[in-house]
Amino acid sequence: MRLRYDVIVVGGGHAGVEAAAASARLGARTVLVTADLGRIAQMSCNPAIGGVAKGTVAREVGALGGIMARATDAARIQFRMLNRSKGPAVWGPRAQCDRALYSMAARRALDELAYLDLFQEMVTGVQFDGRVQGVATRGGVVFEGDAVVVTAGTFLRGRIHMGGASAAGAGRAGEGPSLELAEALEARGLEVARFKTGTPPRVDGRTVDLDRCQRQDGDADGGAFRFCCYAREPLLEQRPCWVAWTGPALKEIVTRNLERSALYGGEISGRGPRYCPSIEDKVVRFPTAPRHQVFLEPEGLDTTELYVNGLSTSLPPDVQLAFLRSIPGMEDAKITRPGYAVEYDYFPPHQLRHTLEVRSVPGLYFAGQINGTTGYEEAAAQGLAAGANAALAVQGRKPFIVERDQGYVGVLVDDLVTKGVDEPYRLFTSRAEFRLLLRQDNGARRLGTPAREIGLLTNRQARALNERLAEERRSVFWFRETTIAPEAANPVLEAVGSSPISEPVRARKLLRRPGVRARALTEAVPEGAPSFDPDVLATVEVDAKYEGYVERETERAAKLRRQARFGIPEDAPFADFTTLSWEARQKLARVRPSNLAQAGRIPGVSPADLQNLVMEVRRLGQARAPTDQA
Amino acid sequence: MDPDTIVACATPPGVGALAVVRLSGPSAIATIGALVRSDVHQWPSRTARLCSLRRPEPSTEVLDRGLVSLFRAPASYTGEDMVEVSTHGGRYVPESVVETCVALGARRARPGEFTQRAYLNGKLDLTQAEAVGDLTATASAQGRNVALHQLERGLGERVASLRSRLIGLAALLVQHIDFPEEDEAPVSLGAVAEEARRAARDVGRLLATAPAGELLREGALTVLAGPPNAGKSSLFNALLGVERAIVTPAAGTTRDAIEAAASIDGFPFRLVDTAGLRAGTEGVEQLGIEVAHRYLKGADVVIVCRETVAGEFAGSSATPDPALAPTLAEADGAAKVFLRTKWDLARDDQAPAPGEIPVSVRTGQGLAEVKRALADLVFQDVVERRDEVPVVTTRRQTELLKNAQDELSSFAQALERGVPPEAASAHIRSAESALEDVLGVVASDEVLDRVFKDFCIGK
Repeated sequence: MRLRYDVIVVGGGHAGVEAAAASARLGARTVLVTADLGRIAQMSCNPAIGGVAKGTVAREVGALGGIMARATDAARIQFRMLNRSKGPAVWGPRAQCDRALYSMAARRALDELAYLDLFQEMVTGVQFDGRVQGVATRGGVVFEGDAVVVTAGTFLRGRIHMGGASAAGAGRAGEGPSLELAEALEARGLEVARFKTGTPPRVDGRTVDLDRCQRQDGDADGGAFRFCCYAREPLLEQRPCWVAWTGPALKEIVTRNLERSALYGGEISGRGPRYCPSIEDKVVRFPTAPRHQVFLEPEGLDTTELYVNGLSTSLPPDVQLAFLRSIPGMEDAKITRPGYAVEYDYFPPHQLRHTLEVRSVPGLYFAGQINGTTGYEEAAAQGLAAGANAALAVQGRKPFIVERDQGYVGVLVDDLVTKGVDEPYRLFTSRAEFRLLLRQDNGARRLGTPAREIGLLTNRQARALNERLAEERRSVFWFRETTIAPEAANPVLEAVGSSPISEPVRARKLLRRPGVRARALTEAVPEGAPSFDPDVLATVEVDAKYEGYVERETERAAKLRRQARFGIPEDAPFADFTTLSWEARQKLARVRPSNLAQAGRIPGVSPADLQNLVMEVRRLGQARAPTDQA
Repeated sequence: MDPDTIVACATPPGVGALAVVRLSGPSAIATIGALVRSDVHQWPSRTARLCSLRRPEPSTEVLDRGLVSLFRAPASYTGEDMVEVSTHGGRYVPESVVETCVALGARRARPGEFTQRAYLNGKLDLTQAEAVGDLTATASAQGRNVALHQLERGLGERVASLRSRLIGLAALLVQHIDFPEEDEAPVSLGAVAEEARRAARDVGRLLATAPAGELLREGALTVLAGPPNAGKSSLFNALLGVERAIVTPAAGTTRDAIEAAASIDGFPFRLVDTAGLRAGTEGVEQLGIEVAHRYLKGADVVIVCRETVAGEFAGSSATPDPALAPTLAEADGAAKVFLRTKWDLARDDQAPAPGEIPVSVRTGQGLAEVKRALADLVFQDVVERRDEVPVVTTRRQTELLKNAQDELSSFAQALERGVPPEAASAHIRSAESALEDVLGVVASDEVLDRVFKDFCIGK
């Protein structure tokens, strides 16, 4: 059987789902091919979306019309705004989700898209003829198309380790690996490397003495639950998380069994993420830490299973059970699914363009863990970028690149392409040099408009965006124009220890004072204020409170954009640029930056190298000019 | 590409009778307007005008008189608005013009930056491109004496360790912001601010070495002063080892100041021979005396010369010569060496005044002693302390360190004012990048490395 599409997406995880949906929303005829349609958008690790930086990128995916924000809203069983005690620039929305509901919500969203078909089959090969021609499946189906987006997750030559000699080929627990696809891609001459990651065990919640754990509820403020400006999903029953602490007994058990760990026994060669260490790592690297935190997170509404966050491991199941039972409150715990480590292939992402197209194979796009990242949110963001660009390329339109000062999506893609990865990549606010500009509250303003302009939003999403932007304008106007009388303002000021006023003062000026909240001011006005969305209020607050600092970032961003206007030819012979240091030439040849700003971000390229690079590129342009005319 | 205005002395420091200071960028013309106190915007392009260059209002001090030419964009070397100012040569005058431009908001240009702008604006061709490459190469291979090099390495180590402390600070903030749920004690912002202040103080300690470092790099400005015919020019030639100044028996031979670099006991000096100081002169000689006074104000060392008069009873007059007192008062910040020149003329019963070194250029007597005295006076302190305090040797380093110090202080103040750390940390980043510029290192993101090393992160 041969089927023809514009864009073919391989894989149905968080990257694949967003890629397929973005491509279809842009009007490209799209098919999503995955080995198991029952596991669409599966949350294969922890049952939560968001966090600091990750929550912001999840909202960006929403602002770009993506699935993740909407599915999270539909499946959320707890919502918390992390960092609420800090400034609004670093707030991080996070939702615990019901796994099954999340997957169903994603499937529902895909089913609404007219240009998207779904197909269940294992893809075993990619067809090439100078450029990508399509893919072939195990059952002999051939999908022909001009663009293929591969989102294979941890399945490429995936190997699962559960201690000792128990390694088995698998992409996720219970699912086989993808060997043929890995070989087909490697045969194209792409550089391959290996990473590992791990998951903790899950336990039956009925066997945990929750009274001896610390209860952690979501935010009481229902208003904060809306995860995305375009979605208004109803609120489900809410569930708490629980916190427990490991003690000396666990440390002793882990230490005694270290040689049975796949990680420490030497079976695993790939590098793992330092920010998500296994319990073996924690015990070995921080021997003086008396205890470690363990979060027990609900897996869903219809299950008693708890995800034991903090105890990722590659020790065998009997050791897992022993160390779990050493934790106060978990003496009788029963494991429902043991933890495991998984090793998999990824393709070092310096081989990609900013569109996530493979430089050496026109029409082939990569997104998600195949690029060396971790995390649902990182995967979704790349999927959206790759899917949108695949569709735009097929339609002969210009690429859609999010800049570093425009979104974490841009930071993520540019970091991957420019700096590469040496451990599974995760977003942090510190990766963004424009952290005050890239906030969870203003994704719509940053990305909504460009998304609408290229047709990435549905009509309904575009209308919701317009409403949201109008509300932002109204709130800015209200705070700028409204004066508040002393009798109304002073209680608010006194409550945060700020000095009282004796004459009416503009709301925006009061908002600049430390501790004064926007919501409190709107509520203090006797004649009443419009009821603004909490995100909109956060936006107003940040602009007032970080005045000066926001401007500083804006200026730096403008400077970077000016540098980015100096383009470097695609085929620049970096190795011949002898006025540059040897190290710089090597790094440039590997990354092949498209402009001066990107070149400046490559570790190993000094300001002096940049200066000489400008010279060399000019010289190149002059040398080539006559040839062009001939 | 950069929209700011840059300034630099385009001619090599200290050599030559004239120097050229160049400005390029959107404020180049306005900046020079403030120096010449005139509506320069009315001036035509590419026409030189003789002007007095002054320090900014309210000061009325005249730095120099020089020729100012404007080149409006795009018809200039860089393609931006440009100004070229020809000033008198030497180290002092052109540097004070550059300094004034910096005070008015211009930025010191990085090596090759004018040319870089010229490229970016499409003003240079292939041959010029290659010339620039050569220039950059020469600059990096510049010969330096070994002691200086060692001192700089010491500085590098010190700055690298400061940078490492800043990365530690940044890591604390990252831990605070990016990992709110970790089982670590919350970061004390007060302690963070305190550590930033400590780092600022340590940067300040390095900055305090800048004057000594500048002496090492640029040479100590050493002015020969004294009445006409005191033998200054002969001594100048003797110290230099070259017949540079014209020597005649007539008083008032030297009219303009002559500046030359000399290595004395292995240390760098800039010797300046000046017109003999006397009242009641006019014309060229009077102008020369004014120049001499200006040099005296900026001098690091003054060699006070007084000639031997055969048969004069040496003990009869106190040192220094009372006639020179007002002159020496002008140079009150400078070290002084008192010489009795032409000592070969002295009779056997004559002795120099206390504190005076008797010198004869003709017999060579006393020259070694003068050299040792100069080296000790200026450099002894630097040499003795070089192991404990590395020395900041260039203006660029000084300004970058000053910048780092300011950013660190601003950071501490911002935290104390209640600015959230995620905003205030911009200052840490700026301070870090200033230190990286001093080191010339290419920064990779070491902050996260530090976070994962220092904190047990990850649930």
